[in-house]
Amino acid sequence: MDKVYQPNLRELLKKCYQCARCTGVCQISKVQYFRPSRIIQQILEGFEEKVLQSGVLWDCLMCNSCLQNCPEEINFADIVRNAKHLMVHKYGQNPEECVAHKGIYTSISELMSKLEVNPKRDLSWIPKDCEIAKEGKILYHVGCTPFFKFEFDELENVPISTLRILSKIENEPIVVLEDEYCCGHDLYWGQGKMEEFIALAKKNMKNFERSGISTIITTCAEGYRTFKIEYPKIFEDFNQKFEVKHIIEYVYEQWKAGRITFKIDEKTKEKINFTFHDPCRMSRFLPKSNTIMQKTREIFLQLEHLGYKFTEMEHNQENALCCGVSSWMNCNERSKALRYKRLSEAKVAGDTMVTSCPKCILHFNCLQNDYDEFSALKILDFTEFIINLVQITQKKKIKGDEQ
Amino acid sequence: MSKSKSKEIIKEFEPELLVFCCNWCSYAGADLAGVSRFQYPPNIRIIRVMCSGRVDPSFVLKALKDGADGVLISGCHIGDCHYISGNEYTRDRFDRLHSIIIQQLGIDPKRVRLEWVSASEGKRFAEVITEFTNEIKELGPLKLQ
Ligand code: SF4
Ligand code: SF4
Ligand code: FES
Repeated sequence: MDKVYQPNLRELLKKCYQCARCTGVCQISKVQYFRPSRIIQQILEGFEEKVLQSGVLWDCLMCNSCLQNCPEEINFADIVRNAKHLMVHKYGQNPEECVAHKGIYTSISELMSKLEVNPKRDLSWIPKDCEIAKEGKILYHVGCTPFFKFEFDELENVPISTLRILSKIENEPIVVLEDEYCCGHDLYWGQGKMEEFIALAKKNMKNFERSGISTIITTCAEGYRTFKIEYPKIFEDFNQKFEVKHIIEYVYEQWKAGRITFKIDEKTKEKINFTFHDPCRMSRFLPKSNTIMQKTREIFLQLEHLGYKFTEMEHNQENALCCGVSSWMNCNERSKALRYKRLSEAKVAGDTMVTSCPKCILHFNCLQNDYDEFSALKILDFTEFIINLVQITQKKKIKGDEQ
Repeated sequence: MSKSKSKEIIKEFEPELLVFCCNWCSYAGADLAGVSRFQYPPNIRIIRVMCSGRVDPSFVLKALKDGADGVLISGCHIGDCHYISGNEYTRDRFDRLHSIIIQQLGIDPKRVRLEWVSASEGKRFAEVITEFTNEIKELGPLKLQ
């Protein structure tokens, strides 16, 4: 628990010298009164209890724009995460009051962390031409998208396209687990439920070890970051045992290795103007050394040979605007205003918006239902977008196999 | 002596069940069961809602998460809902809750149940509760860590 929880907020904040850049860039401050630098100063001056009691911190979007711009690298979102644990356990606040969809989806994660029985996922979505296995090298972590089917149909194709891409390239069946657990991201960031998060991490770790995998692939930005950054904090040897890849990274590597190219069926060729929404978890939330955003752009530039046209939105990469909701927290008129702004930018940049976070798709789709002016914009997951363009040039060779 | 006695009590598992009753039919049905002195096991706690359509699926998950061993939602028979079609929504939502969430979580679907009980069916209410309690007793507690 100590590895991911640090209740001494003042210690974490003491380097702040009140330049107030964070307040300037804070995304939520544009639509409501919220001043991170003020909050920091209040805590430093000894009003921590008051700040926590007042519950203002629940409003933070956890979008990490402030960290991007802080000269002292104060990780405000992470401090809010620690504070949330205190707000729940010390001040008896109930995070469920801020959870969207009355907490159905976060309850699912919590039940998974608590129940002694294993999940029994419905694997009937797996296309007939894809073979899956219980053990192997490469695991596809499907994540919670199948549960979102409870209210949303738009994500059905995301796991299907991902698995299709993976099975096209790999020679061996991909591991998809029937008893796959939630990664715990929403409980960890949204509600400060560290104990539940650790329980889930342990369960996941058991599954990974049992199935003998060495690579974990996700389509979801939140899952990717959680496995890549948070799990190694809990399990020291995580990085030695497993490699975590987002499907974008995977496609990029296969392309660079010459196993796939991007081609288009001449008959269905149409000119597509598209843009890309960088999810916070795959831009601002990754260490500065990561190159995933550049890799994404490289793929997109390659697509221009196929007649596709890629345009950046006004705010892009680590400055991308937030979709307004993370970890299912706080969906309200203010977060909708942020989403409205984002879609307005997308509309200017192209007719199709590609993203790599399934939840972003849900949130944006929801806004599209409310505003007719966005109804023409197509919002697609990266895998749905790329699936018909990926062409195999050579399958991966299995050692000792003459193919 | 008192110690061994309490041990014996623990031996027989007494489930804790949550029942949502709609105000117009099922709650009246439960009332009638009481007034007519039909016996049913004391394991249930009733929450009265105005219509079964008020029962959000998150309530069910929350109950399970916080330690209920089973949840029963009951409302008026289809066609009899005081608000015309509230229970039709409940039925559709319930099917989805079962197939998409409860089963995929690995929870026995018997733990979450939907029953229509009208205001005149006191007897049936007692029977449903008895049956439900026995079923959950057989399944044992919903183990949480
Ligand atoms: S940007 Fe950093 S140093 Fe400046 S006020 Fe905000 S937290 Fe403090
Ligand atoms: S994480 Fe985002 S919403 Fe929260 S204080 Fe920083 S910039 Fe503002
Ligand atoms: S009032 Fe009874 S189900 Fe609607």
